[in-house]
Amino acid sequence: MSVPLSQMWAVSTYVIRQKLARRKRYPLVLMLEPLFRCNLACAGCGKIQYPAQILKKHLTVEQCLAAVEECGAPIVSIPGGEPLMYPDIGRLVEELVARRKYVYLCTNAILLKEKLDAGLFTPSKYLSFSVHLDGLREEHDEAVCRDGVHVQAVAAIKEALRRGYRVTTNSTLFDGASPLRMREFFDEVMDLGVEGMMISPGYGYAKAPDQEHFLRAQRAHELFSKMLTNPKRRWRFNQSPLFLQFLMGKQDFECTPWGNPTYNMFGWQRPCYLLQEGYAATFKELLETTRWENYGRRSGNEKCRDCMVHCGYEPTAVNHTFSTWRGFRDTVVATVTGRF
Amino acid sequence: MDETTLEGWAPEAGAAVSLAAIIDKAFDYRGNVTVVKVDGSETVGFLFNRNPDAPEPFVQMFDLDGAGPLTIPYHTIRTIRFTGRDTAAGNSYAAWLRAKEAAKSARRDA
Repeated sequence: MSVPLSQMWAVSTYVIRQKLARRKRYPLVLMLEPLFRCNLACAGCGKIQYPAQILKKHLTVEQCLAAVEECGAPIVSIPGGEPLMYPDIGRLVEELVARRKYVYLCTNAILLKEKLDAGLFTPSKYLSFSVHLDGLREEHDEAVCRDGVHVQAVAAIKEALRRGYRVTTNSTLFDGASPLRMREFFDEVMDLGVEGMMISPGYGYAKAPDQEHFLRAQRAHELFSKMLTNPKRRWRFNQSPLFLQFLMGKQDFECTPWGNPTYNMFGWQRPCYLLQEGYAATFKELLETTRWENYGRRSGNEKCRDCMVHCGYEPTAVNHTFSTWRGFRDTVVATVTGRF
Repeated sequence: MDETTLEGWAPEAGAAVSLAAIIDKAFDYRGNVTVVKVDGSETVGFLFNRNPDAPEPFVQMFDLDGAGPLTIPYHTIRTIRFTGRDTAAGNSYAAWLRAKEAAKSARRDA
């Protein structure tokens, strides 16, 4: 089991409360982007292409906390940009942990050892470092467009684990990924002793330099089927097994774009973490004024046609677990047997 | 191949291209723009939001110092010029692969 029981319990009771309150739309994970600045310029990333004055800006801790309170999601993911470049990251994490939010600090880990040495963080069941690793050394360094980053990330993972932190990995897969090499990669990551892995297909950001290597839906199903069929017992994934089944083409889900809402210096991003079609001033305004019917695979929106990314479909998978007996049974069976 | 860019585009709103279309392009643009107002004044910065469905449609910007957000109603805008560098252009994955391959070749030749 890769997600701690306390976290499972917190998420389960939260979702059940939403169901009992008959909330049609509720957030599961807040994607909190305190800054866009990054110390890498990955080809597949559409998050960092901004003029200098925007890259120099960041949210205040108070703005972050207000967004967290307003949203109410039990999990806060801090991507970016590179969150370890955020000057107040230590205080922000401390405040979130004090509020019993489960924090996934998504980092390329280049600065992780330095920040750990500086005593910025304290190990907690509420804090996980989610280290970006897109594959074995060659594949990862190619994905991040810089040699040597894989070695740094692996060293930082070992150091964080040694100090007692929860560590997961997050991997984005693009067209051309080798299922065999990814299976080797899963072995390598589990050998490091991480709590679990998170995987997702990449998304073709309109502003990302690499437009040719994003996975189309059918090819994505083939790739994930080859990768995840007959999974080894030792592989642990820090995500819903139903989402993994969806990636393999075994579940037919629709996107839940409000499930992982995004807040950054521009406001609440419409409609999701990946598409930028405007910003709302409040979370309430985001929920109430976004034309949700225009998004998702069945909407016919071509920007959504091939998207299978976790931020839209993992909330669907979690909701499915608590909406139908079949969904609950499938989740329990996959969790207990380790097969998807 | 690097994508095309609107950098340097200085349209005038009219029959060929509407103001709403120019605003949409500016919203998608990943560089600074110059908003030219009906009264002749100009505001330079990054246009990060636009809402054509609001009771009074508006755009929002951060200026060159990062101050803002500045909210500017559509009806006060004459046009927008794409004056800043397009930060999304000219940095392709293919170019990185070519550079990496060239570096490997250089190491082999050395």
